[in-house]
Amino acid sequence: MKEKLSYLLGPALLICLLFTVGLSFFNYVIPTALWFADLFLAGAVFVYYTVSQNNVVYVAKRLAEAAVVIFVIASATFLLLRVLPGGPFDQEKALPAEVKANIDKKYHLDKPLAYQYYRYISGVAVGDLGESYKYIGRNISDIVSETLPTSIQLGVFSLILAFLIGIPAGVISASKHNTLFDSVTMAFAISGVALPSFLVAPVLILIFAFWLGWLEPALWEGPTYYILPVVVLGTRPAAVIARLTRASVLEVIRSDYIRTARAKGLSERVILFKHVLKNSLIPVLTYSGPLAAGVITGTFIIEQIFAVPGMGKHLVNSVTNRDYPLILGTTLVFSMALVLANLVVDLLYSYFDPRIKLS
Amino acid sequence: MQVFSKKRLIGVVLTTAMALAVGCTKKKSNDNAGYDPKETLRLNLTTEPPSLDWSKSTDTTSAFIQYNFMEGLTEYNLDDPELSLRSALAMEWTANKDASEWTFKLREGVKWTDGKPFTAQHVVDGWKRLLEPATASEYAYFLYSVDNAKAFNEGKIKDFSQVGVKAIDDQTLKVTLNQPKSYFPYLLTHHSTYPIRLDVVATHGDTWTEPGKIVTLGAYKLKEWEHDNHIVLERNDDYYGEKAKTKYVYGYMIIENSTALNLYEKGKIDVLYTLPSREIGRLKAREDYSTMPSLGIYYYGFNTEKPPFNDPMVRKAVSMAIDRDQITTLLNGGEVPLTSWVPKGMFGYEQARGTGFDPSKAQKLLDEAGFKDRKKFPKITIGFNTNEDHQRIAENVQAQLKKTLGIQVELANEEWKTYLKSVQTNPANIFRLGWMADFPDPDNFMNLMMTESENNHTRWGNKEYDRLILEATKTTDKKKRAEMYSQAQSILVEKDVPVAPIYSMVSHYLINDRVKQFPLNSMGKKLLKDVVVE
Repeated sequence: MKEKLSYLLGPALLICLLFTVGLSFFNYVIPTALWFADLFLAGAVFVYYTVSQNNVVYVAKRLAEAAVVIFVIASATFLLLRVLPGGPFDQEKALPAEVKANIDKKYHLDKPLAYQYYRYISGVAVGDLGESYKYIGRNISDIVSETLPTSIQLGVFSLILAFLIGIPAGVISASKHNTLFDSVTMAFAISGVALPSFLVAPVLILIFAFWLGWLEPALWEGPTYYILPVVVLGTRPAAVIARLTRASVLEVIRSDYIRTARAKGLSERVILFKHVLKNSLIPVLTYSGPLAAGVITGTFIIEQIFAVPGMGKHLVNSVTNRDYPLILGTTLVFSMALVLANLVVDLLYSYFDPRIKLS
Repeated sequence: MQVFSKKRLIGVVLTTAMALAVGCTKKKSNDNAGYDPKETLRLNLTTEPPSLDWSKSTDTTSAFIQYNFMEGLTEYNLDDPELSLRSALAMEWTANKDASEWTFKLREGVKWTDGKPFTAQHVVDGWKRLLEPATASEYAYFLYSVDNAKAFNEGKIKDFSQVGVKAIDDQTLKVTLNQPKSYFPYLLTHHSTYPIRLDVVATHGDTWTEPGKIVTLGAYKLKEWEHDNHIVLERNDDYYGEKAKTKYVYGYMIIENSTALNLYEKGKIDVLYTLPSREIGRLKAREDYSTMPSLGIYYYGFNTEKPPFNDPMVRKAVSMAIDRDQITTLLNGGEVPLTSWVPKGMFGYEQARGTGFDPSKAQKLLDEAGFKDRKKFPKITIGFNTNEDHQRIAENVQAQLKKTLGIQVELANEEWKTYLKSVQTNPANIFRLGWMADFPDPDNFMNLMMTESENNHTRWGNKEYDRLILEATKTTDKKKRAEMYSQAQSILVEKDVPVAPIYSMVSHYLINDRVKQFPLNSMGKKLLKDVVVE
């Protein structure tokens, strides 16, 4: 029964996620039932996996640590912001002292720093991130919930693209080590890492939106709009993943158990994708944690160039505006994504390589 | 064991896919979301409007929307290049002899979008909300010339009836000022002074500006506001005046100018009013390009407390050594070289005012100031906020001063807010700043350099200058005012020279030829009611 469950949950989750992403890409409204299925299955897989691997204590410990980390980040950001010169209401046209006093009073900026800190942390504890200074009257949680989904969408598409291109490219390059295919792929990978997106993007826009007219130059309204930003955002991770995979596959392919597999007479394809690949993915996995957190919380330059209404611009512009609550809010979202992604990566380590014990 | 055999797996996937394809609805294709381009003016707002609450917002994007769905007591006559006033919610206005008491006769038959009639009390309510300390409005000072308004804003007076604005009846408003102000009606074109419906604000709280909740009375009304994405205005069929000619206005929020330009080229946007500065040279030759002087100046200020610029002769020498033409040629965007303080296009502008470019005289002045041996001249710094254009200008001035005067200049750039802090607390020897008019009156600029002004960062002050400016605000005779400003400008940019104006700003537009009658004016006020799209 237990075996059966494990075989059922994983593929079911994958299928559901695949549909969610597919529907979202082709601009369909995603049924609530599907969202629930995603959430439920992801939860189930997580719990099943944690329990069956005896990782409950480990996960609990990591979650407790995460809470501490978030608290430290929240506090450090809060304090560092106050050290930054220039305040949220400084502008070219200086405000009369009376007006400034009213504003400071409204946002409690006239109170001692300790009080402001206490107010902020106790707000965070109950999920109240406060109100933006710049977008007057708008809650930070509203701003995040209105922009983060778009960033996640862009990020997930790009991640999928990066894995779909990067891993096969790496594996094939390694297996055809020192051939023309290998050199060409790696040349592409190196340029993919080296070329900055603000250079790649305009070139692709020129070719595909203006010369060929196949795709849209900007905005975020459907598949023809998605492709360019997704490709530009996915290029660099794809290149890094290809290089990591290749290096790691080359190492594994020379190990004894692969020689054994060959001696058993297994076909080269089975050896590569069943025995080599799984054991080669550890470095890719390590890289994926921070990568995932980075791309799904919004990338400023890509969102800017393609006018994607995501959270990336708030991550950056809130600092320029000294919009304290918004800076703190977006920083918290990013740190949570990072902490969570790293936890998932650590759990996956022991799945890919059972020799790794979590403790 | 395998629960999903390959066949079964494919079966499951296909069945689900079919079920989903049948059961799922496609999102509305968001290409202007079903707004017929023939009835829609599409433009780029450049950012999300920070707030549509006209008592609280301070930025131009929000103001742009507010000016189209609301209206003030007075409005600019956009057909007049000098932007005289025309009637709006007020039919007519009169002042007592010294311009300290104003009576406004309000229009009858104006209706809010919820059908309620507009009355003078709504204006009083708007002003009360603007001035209430709890509103914390940045523009509260706009009405500080109204009797007791400042004290009310500071919380010293709690009773608003002591403030100098009264609704005599539904159609009459009486305003008492604490000092004569000849240009007072001009302030009422500004969104911060608009009437408001306190009942609507009270019902919905901070979210009262969302579509479906907000109540306005202008030529357009708010139809859609998808935050960080787009805004849609729709013609207000109950507007009192001539109805808007185009049914919808669709505003994108694209921050990156070159991205917006791409969409313009693709025909998705009809009008652009922020163009990438590097592209202007290329775009200038096109037929769909237009330009307009705008009431803004770019200037260099001197820190008059720190040597060597504590000596007016040195300041004058430097101002004289800068050839403004070189800078505007470098920028190549049609900016107008400026030596006077009042910009081109505004009453009080005198082209010949200021030091002008005179290298030999500049050298002589510097010699006389005791720096005949240029090695004695201390190394000075030009400060500016990080920006490509500011950098290019500073580098140009650096080269010019070296060539003309033989002095060494260092450049120091800082991030915007850090820079503002430096300018307020310890400005560089020479610092860059700009100034845009809030209303088309020279007081906007002249007032800035008064001794007590929060925006005068030069640490310079001159009693005679202050006296002239105060006197001018009280004077209703235009000719006499012009004379006073002329005298004051002579002190400012010829005698004491705490500032060196560089150029007068211009705005650039790309307007698709299907759009007719797009309003171009020096205040950049985009009232869209008369715009036609074909």
